[in-house]
Amino acid sequence: MTTFVFRNQTVEAFLGDSGMTFSGYGDISRIPGDVDRYIWFYQVPVNADSAQLAQEVTAYSDQLDLVLSAADPSKPFIIFSLVNLFPLRLTGDEVAVADAVSAFNDHAMRLSRERAGVKWVDFGEFTSRYDAETLVNWKYYLMSQTLLNPRLARDFQAWWQRIEDEMALKRKKCLVLDLDNTLWGGVLGEDGVDGISLGGDYPGKAYYMWQKALSQLSSTGVILAVCSKNNEADVQEAWDKNPSMVLKREHFSALRINWNDKATNLRELAAELNIGLDSMVFVDDNPAERELVKQMLPEVTVPDFPDKPYQLMPFFKQLVDRYFRIYAVTDEDRAKTAQYQANAMRRAEQSRFVDFEDYLYSLDISLDVIPADEHNLPRIAQMTQKTNQFNLTTRRYTEADVNGFLKSGWHIFCVNVSDRFGDSGITGTMFLHPVDDVTLDIDTLLASCRVLGKGIEEAFFKTVLNLMRLDGYRRVTACYLPTAKNGQTADFFDRMGMTCVTVDDDGTRRYEMSLDSVYEIKNCYNIRVL
Amino acid sequence: MNLEDRILEIMREVFGIDDVTTEVSQKNCDCWDSLRHLTLASELEEALDIELEPEEIAEMTDFARVVEMVKSKL
Repeated sequence: MTTFVFRNQTVEAFLGDSGMTFSGYGDISRIPGDVDRYIWFYQVPVNADSAQLAQEVTAYSDQLDLVLSAADPSKPFIIFSLVNLFPLRLTGDEVAVADAVSAFNDHAMRLSRERAGVKWVDFGEFTSRYDAETLVNWKYYLMSQTLLNPRLARDFQAWWQRIEDEMALKRKKCLVLDLDNTLWGGVLGEDGVDGISLGGDYPGKAYYMWQKALSQLSSTGVILAVCSKNNEADVQEAWDKNPSMVLKREHFSALRINWNDKATNLRELAAELNIGLDSMVFVDDNPAERELVKQMLPEVTVPDFPDKPYQLMPFFKQLVDRYFRIYAVTDEDRAKTAQYQANAMRRAEQSRFVDFEDYLYSLDISLDVIPADEHNLPRIAQMTQKTNQFNLTTRRYTEADVNGFLKSGWHIFCVNVSDRFGDSGITGTMFLHPVDDVTLDIDTLLASCRVLGKGIEEAFFKTVLNLMRLDGYRRVTACYLPTAKNGQTADFFDRMGMTCVTVDDDGTRRYEMSLDSVYEIKNCYNIRVL
Repeated sequence: MNLEDRILEIMREVFGIDDVTTEVSQKNCDCWDSLRHLTLASELEEALDIELEPEEIAEMTDFARVVEMVKSKL
């Protein structure tokens, strides 16, 4: 991966030089197009004239806007927040520089929300670990234009690696929580609904804050689930009647409140939520339960639980930092909790219909088939990174990759799925790569596990190929590349009427088909092509 | 490990190459650029618990001079 760095100081020692190209100090005249991503890493210069410095810092926002307006919008653009490493205030009420710094940071954060591909990195999270003397090394600053102490380079690289991992979406999906002595103090079955410790003075206050933080986490798209040895009726009563209860039934996408062993319960939760065990983090105060899960289900992440309730907030921060934080919350993420719940309702509905087609009709499913554009491109790339189960080739792409494909003439579509229980958002994508005037190769076909089981992937696939037929294509090739997780798609192309031409030793199956006739699609879907 | 070997080890790490000998100098080693020169100085200060002045850092242009400078600080 190649990166172009806009900077106003020497940052090579921190970002490293492999694949990095650096701008001149404060130089925004050159915005190269032939890189994979951009980084904006400015630091506040040293200037005893604070009015002048404030002006200089204020101008960074305009410079950033200018760069963004010229940079390729399909490529990631990472903005480091500004930190004043050497705040010099000659009078006590001098705030101009601090104001300018926070104005820039607000601006950058807003850009990251409004513009696809822009990510905001909190550099202050790194610098706040050190005291002022450690942060700045004047000797090296004056020799080399880097205010940040070069001795922090190794720490910086470790921190930056973590941030990059987070940006690459290597995160967990689901937090499974115990109840007694985990979400509240005490044991519900013994202490009763009003006897548990939640809200009010310490320690109840600590549990209340922790629940509130968890509810915020769920609103960013992290799925919460309960795995507790309790009587479900007691828990329901606590949810209904304890006035300090922040996390209630509706915050949890799935529950296992029973006396079965927790490994079995976790396995069931994973199946019900349609996620892998390796996407789960299990939080329980009881070391014996944690040990059991670690032994039986090594894929599940099991952090140690704090001994004291006053350690819950730092524990929460650690959970977020390590497992859940992402850099751009998409609308799909936010709506995910609701979607997982709606899925559970749909499953309940399923039992009431005589045949499956009946059931599909009753769902009132709408599919919007949408060509890739700048708005859905981040989501399309994100899906190629995250989707494992219904994914025929499991090729991982960045936004830049996808944009490159579009430019070289590929046909890329995504599908937005909704039904009477809610909008699942963009949940599938298909990449078709023209081999010649009449032949297309299916490079990628995937659908999120949230919409599986309703024939949606099939309807999407057929709709796209019908469209391609109208475009004049007459032949399609495809392949299935097996992975540990995509076994359920091994016969998908066979089911779609394609002919398997070769099967390799590793299980790779290659297909072809002529596009002579129009695919028939079940009419239980309302399909729109946008 | 004697001091010379220790310095060679630090140089290998800073320059990112295995092939660093006692003959190395800023002139004959492309990896020893101005940026890595400062990293080298900073690593030596940290590893050997010494303090180098900017003027001294500027003089450390080959292996022999680095060793000489470091020895004068110990």
